[in-house]
Amino acid sequence: MRNEQDQIGMSVMAGRRLHLEKVGVNRILIQKINLVVAMLLTFASVARCEDVDFQRDVLPILQEHCIDCHGPDEAESQLRLDSELSALRGGDSGERLIVPGKSSLSYLIERITTEDSDARMPPDESPLSEKQVQILRSWVDDTTRWKPVETKLASQKIDHWSLQPLVRPEVPDVGVTNPIDAFIATKLTENKLKNSKRASKRSLIRRLYLVMHGLPPTPEQVDSYLSNQHPDAWEALVDDVLKQPQYGERWATHWLDLVRFGETHGFETNRERPHAWRYRDWVINSFNSDKPYDKFIIQQIAGDAVGEEIGTGFLVAGPYDLVKGQDPAFRLIQRQDELADMINTTGTAFLGLTLGCARCHNHKFDPITQTDYYSLQAVFAGVDHADRSLPIPVEQKRKLVEVDKQIFSLEQKLAQFIPEKSPPGTRPAVTATSNVELFDPVDAKYIRFTISKTSSSQPCLDELEIFANGRNVALASLGGKASSSSNLPGYEIHKLEHLNDGKYGNSHSWISNESGTGWVQIEIDGIQIIDRIEWARDRDGRYSDRLATEYKIAVSLDESTWQVIASSKDRLPYKSGKQTKPTYQFDGVSPEIAKRGRAWLDDLNTLQARRSKLAEAPKVYAGTFHQPGPTHRLYRGEPSAPREEVVPAAIKALTDLALPANAPERDRRLAVAHWIANRDNSLTARVMVNRLWQHHFGTGLVDTPSDFGANGTLPTHPGLLDWLAAEFIDSGWSVKHIQKLILTSNTWQQESRPRSEAMAVDAASRLLWRFPGRRLEAEGIRDSILTVTGQIDLEMGGVGFSAFEIDAENVRHYFPKTDFGPADWRRMIYMTKVRQERDAVFGVFDCPDCSQVVPGRSRSTTPLQALNLLNSRFVLQQADFFVKRLESESKTTEEKIVRAYKLCFSRPPEKDEIETAIEFLEQSDWQQFARAMLNANEFVFIP
Amino acid sequence: MFKQQPTRRQLLIDSANGLGGIALASILQQQGLLASEKKPLRPNIDSSQPFGSRESHFPARAKNVLMIFCSGACSQLDTFDYKPELINRHGQPLPGAEDLVTFQGSQGNLTKSPWEFKPRGESGKMVSELVPMLGELADDMCFIHSLTGKTNTHGPGENFMSTGYTLDGFPSMGAWTTWALGTENQDLPAYVAIPDPRGTPQSSVNNWGPGFLPAAYQGTDFNATKPLRNLDRPDGINAASDRQTREFLQKLNRRHLQQFPGDSELSARIASYELAARMQLSVPEVSDLTTESKSTLKMYGADDTENPLKASFAKNCILARRLVEEGVRFVQLFNGAYQTGGEGVSNWDGHKALEKQYAKHGPVLDQPVAALLKDLKQRGLLKETLVVWCTEFGRMPTFQAGASGRDHNPKGFTAWLAGAGVKAPFTYGATDEFGYKAVENVATVYDFHATILHLLGLDHERLSYYHNGIERRLTDVHGHVIEDIIA
Repeated sequence: MRNEQDQIGMSVMAGRRLHLEKVGVNRILIQKINLVVAMLLTFASVARCEDVDFQRDVLPILQEHCIDCHGPDEAESQLRLDSELSALRGGDSGERLIVPGKSSLSYLIERITTEDSDARMPPDESPLSEKQVQILRSWVDDTTRWKPVETKLASQKIDHWSLQPLVRPEVPDVGVTNPIDAFIATKLTENKLKNSKRASKRSLIRRLYLVMHGLPPTPEQVDSYLSNQHPDAWEALVDDVLKQPQYGERWATHWLDLVRFGETHGFETNRERPHAWRYRDWVINSFNSDKPYDKFIIQQIAGDAVGEEIGTGFLVAGPYDLVKGQDPAFRLIQRQDELADMINTTGTAFLGLTLGCARCHNHKFDPITQTDYYSLQAVFAGVDHADRSLPIPVEQKRKLVEVDKQIFSLEQKLAQFIPEKSPPGTRPAVTATSNVELFDPVDAKYIRFTISKTSSSQPCLDELEIFANGRNVALASLGGKASSSSNLPGYEIHKLEHLNDGKYGNSHSWISNESGTGWVQIEIDGIQIIDRIEWARDRDGRYSDRLATEYKIAVSLDESTWQVIASSKDRLPYKSGKQTKPTYQFDGVSPEIAKRGRAWLDDLNTLQARRSKLAEAPKVYAGTFHQPGPTHRLYRGEPSAPREEVVPAAIKALTDLALPANAPERDRRLAVAHWIANRDNSLTARVMVNRLWQHHFGTGLVDTPSDFGANGTLPTHPGLLDWLAAEFIDSGWSVKHIQKLILTSNTWQQESRPRSEAMAVDAASRLLWRFPGRRLEAEGIRDSILTVTGQIDLEMGGVGFSAFEIDAENVRHYFPKTDFGPADWRRMIYMTKVRQERDAVFGVFDCPDCSQVVPGRSRSTTPLQALNLLNSRFVLQQADFFVKRLESESKTTEEKIVRAYKLCFSRPPEKDEIETAIEFLEQSDWQQFARAMLNANEFVFIP
Repeated sequence: MFKQQPTRRQLLIDSANGLGGIALASILQQQGLLASEKKPLRPNIDSSQPFGSRESHFPARAKNVLMIFCSGACSQLDTFDYKPELINRHGQPLPGAEDLVTFQGSQGNLTKSPWEFKPRGESGKMVSELVPMLGELADDMCFIHSLTGKTNTHGPGENFMSTGYTLDGFPSMGAWTTWALGTENQDLPAYVAIPDPRGTPQSSVNNWGPGFLPAAYQGTDFNATKPLRNLDRPDGINAASDRQTREFLQKLNRRHLQQFPGDSELSARIASYELAARMQLSVPEVSDLTTESKSTLKMYGADDTENPLKASFAKNCILARRLVEEGVRFVQLFNGAYQTGGEGVSNWDGHKALEKQYAKHGPVLDQPVAALLKDLKQRGLLKETLVVWCTEFGRMPTFQAGASGRDHNPKGFTAWLAGAGVKAPFTYGATDEFGYKAVENVATVYDFHATILHLLGLDHERLSYYHNGIERRLTDVHGHVIEDIIA
């Protein structure tokens, strides 16, 4: 075994050197060797101590007892003890081996002195002597000797290619205009390869539509392009294709794969997430509007901070185990797994880094420590899986106001029917979720809400809304200034500024610091005529404590003379539990009056039902946020083994976010988002342009698209990758700009036909001597079928359709539908994504089950795929539609065949093909012809 | 036939040839590190035959695997893990369990099994009266009583037993196996999952999912009553017409291929239609139990009119034997489902009324599986087939506070193996005196998986797939082959 490995090692070394010399990057290697050698040579002189000398006193102990396993030969747990620098760096475990000046906290001392003989170092030997331990302690405790070592460790350079600053490279001067072609041509020449000639216009337009829209072009689109002889015809076509909304639907698919988006929770219950689709639509719209990629990132990590609430659907797009047992230890592990999913996905999707590897130990290949992992956990520790309420849309809000006015007027009319014990004109009791105060229009500058009693504790308001002319003028964004009698200190989620920030719910609320009392005041912009105020304790309906039960609202123009405009006096008393409703009595009045009263009450009930619908905020599965407690590094990733507390941060070797341990939750995510979405982050742009490249050509320039670390592969064209990344940033992070550059390159427009001499050199076509053809993904096949049969419904957005009949048990069961109708003929991106389960017909075409991040789908070819396309009810039904379409659009047999070819393959048939088809039709029928066409290789392959 | 991310090996070969400028810049830095780790061994997959039988890493003891999975967490204490002290201390508290909170909450007292344990076979292995016919075969079994898991929740637990990860989305053991080894019979799916007649298990298709392996290696699920979807020629299309259509299709495809000479993906797709046609013949044939003799049906209990559920599960057992017989590489047979009742009613999740529920489940499992084992043995198939009986985790020796059933317990549970390559009769590991925690030869599910792969001739540390920057294995970074149980 050893020998075999050594041999592999040697051949790798040989190959590597050869290659490195060839491409001239041995600079890195030499630097690295120099660094190591320098490290080893200089240690002796780095730090000396008067009492304990490393060479004289420490090293002999380590050499005798430790270095066999933790030295240059073995380095178990990646720990080496042959130098002070490597000792200070520590090993895999992430434990702090040496804490300078604090031997009692140092893992080294812990491991040599522990009573537990299984854990004690050195293993299978008697413990080190008292004296030896004392020498090691003194060595660790001498802070002055460690200073220079710490400096040296901090200054160590990272030389991995993807972590080097991005510098726009020179475009090779080879006489072509598109820089992409220049880089590609250079590499082809180096390898004695030539590119292929331009593909036919028919192939090109078909390729363009399949890759960019996931739909075939219509025969009319093909004809129009063929007849356009203008030299800019291709560019115009590319522009047009990038403008169509089907573009966003296609490219969102790739992103949703990457961020493991699903519309069920997964795990055993696999329940629905009925509000998750808004994130899917948000991604589609982001691509269609060419949202700058830096904004796209920030909005997904901290959209709640920048007015794009739906974006944070990203954070919670992954699976979530609804089943929480009572055992606290296992619950902690579940929470750790949830957070790991967020950390891993963020690292993979945006940075191409495998952050998850550092959960249990320091990353083996990349400069990511275990501490970094838990610092990132502190960033996400306040994110919970849940639906979040969105602000009520303006139109809905307007209707709500109308209804409130009608309710108010009816309640006043009905007041006469309330028995004597309630005073006349009594309004409903306050509620935790919604209270409306209507009054005669009044001039106001200052509005003060004074609370004299609560249902419990200090009062809480999630938002105070003051309306002038139908607009909430209390909003800080409209110039409203909030002040208060006092504020509960120490809670990020409870702050005065939340009173008028336009956000609802307990996590954006104000609480006074006085039990049962307090006031808040809004100074609005100028003097305005106001006529309505709305307030609540928690519009999300989760909390009903701290509710103001006795209050008054007063207005002032000068902050000294006040006029009370509303109060709790005319409300029914609050009773906890549920809202008190007045009881109306219609006895003792004339039958006509009673009849009229009953009619009003009916109207009131109808209106109230309507109101509660209108008051419902739309929701999105985008998580909720709470201020987390301290986060600790976990030894070996075990929740039962917490170590030191960590601050929220990213990767220390790459950045310092300078956040305090108790930083507000949202600030943490925002800081990480800004670090990622920054031109100085060497990974972000490189990773994204590589993904774009991958989905254009089938393979990225780096073919480990989610690992740009040392365990990933080098780019085939490093210069091109960096040039594209720089161009991406300089274009304002425009995805479409990069795509247009690719689509208008000769490289992309080459023929895909294999050439044997080039295949012999580069069978995978990584050097792009041709355009690599490939099979469409499941979505492309299904959408193509619906397109050619004329059934496709291109309606965009909204709630999706289901591929399953759902058995609504506690644990959901999904049975594939067997009957299909027009509701199923939307594009597949709108098929509700059920985790684990795949669509019964198209799922076998490598559809991901959205449990894990998928940066690129595998492409397998199986007999089950063939059976599904040949025999499924879905395909046969579509074949029938196809026949009907052919019949309605063409007359003769030959015309029908021609039409079918044009629809399915974007080309007319050759003469021999018509003959073959006619021959087949003589013994079979049109349905069978259609069935064969929809199964053909030419139909499902990108040419 | 498969396009996947390039293997490290390919990369190394590419760079050694100086091609493509692909290289791992920092590999020199890592040499010291990697040399101490085992290199991945990728299956050599012929693109025209993705399921072609492939060489194992070293000589295999077992050619194929039949995994019998009792969904819902079958109690070790009421089946195979005999604990006299539990009987002696019946009704007393579990020492140290005052504050113990398990999945559903706090504990009642230690409770002996409602079923008596009796010595079985020549080995005298104590097996309960709940599964007496399985007990009779104790001499053919290799028990592991000291399995430990990582979760106490069903979904993650089933995932863990089937895929080695508690999370969703990782390849199942069957997917790993068929990816590595292909299969013997090209006309049948390489990997078949047979769901219980009552429905799918708690973690449903994730139990036989491909994870990030190519979709080809997912389990194909059908059972004796629920045929393979889209296998049959559609209604209204006669056989001749169907054949003509395929011929026409292949004509279209061959003509198209002429423009793309040497494109393996296109020719693979042509081949897949031919394979599909063969499968249309062979799958109905293997599922047709009418050719089984009356005595066989009787032996399995497939003719039991008084217990139709048992009869139905028995048919799945016969189907399992037929698949093994035909050379299917990996068969996963489920007993218990969630659909038709949930907690304990249609599976082994006996929280509240264990005696009543297990009294129904025992007979459904016992005779059919015992017959399956006997049948495999008498046909000589046990020589090449490894039978694995398992469940997601075990149950508590106590009853739950205020209930007549046992809560989840991943700290010590039982599985057994039989057939190719394992010692029998044999017992490995033990739980404590009450059957609560594994204390002797403690084994993890990783060890269990490593051992099964080992018997298939696969090194669990080298069978890996590069995904999202990580060399993924069935056993993650854990697992040791349990050498003691290998014959």
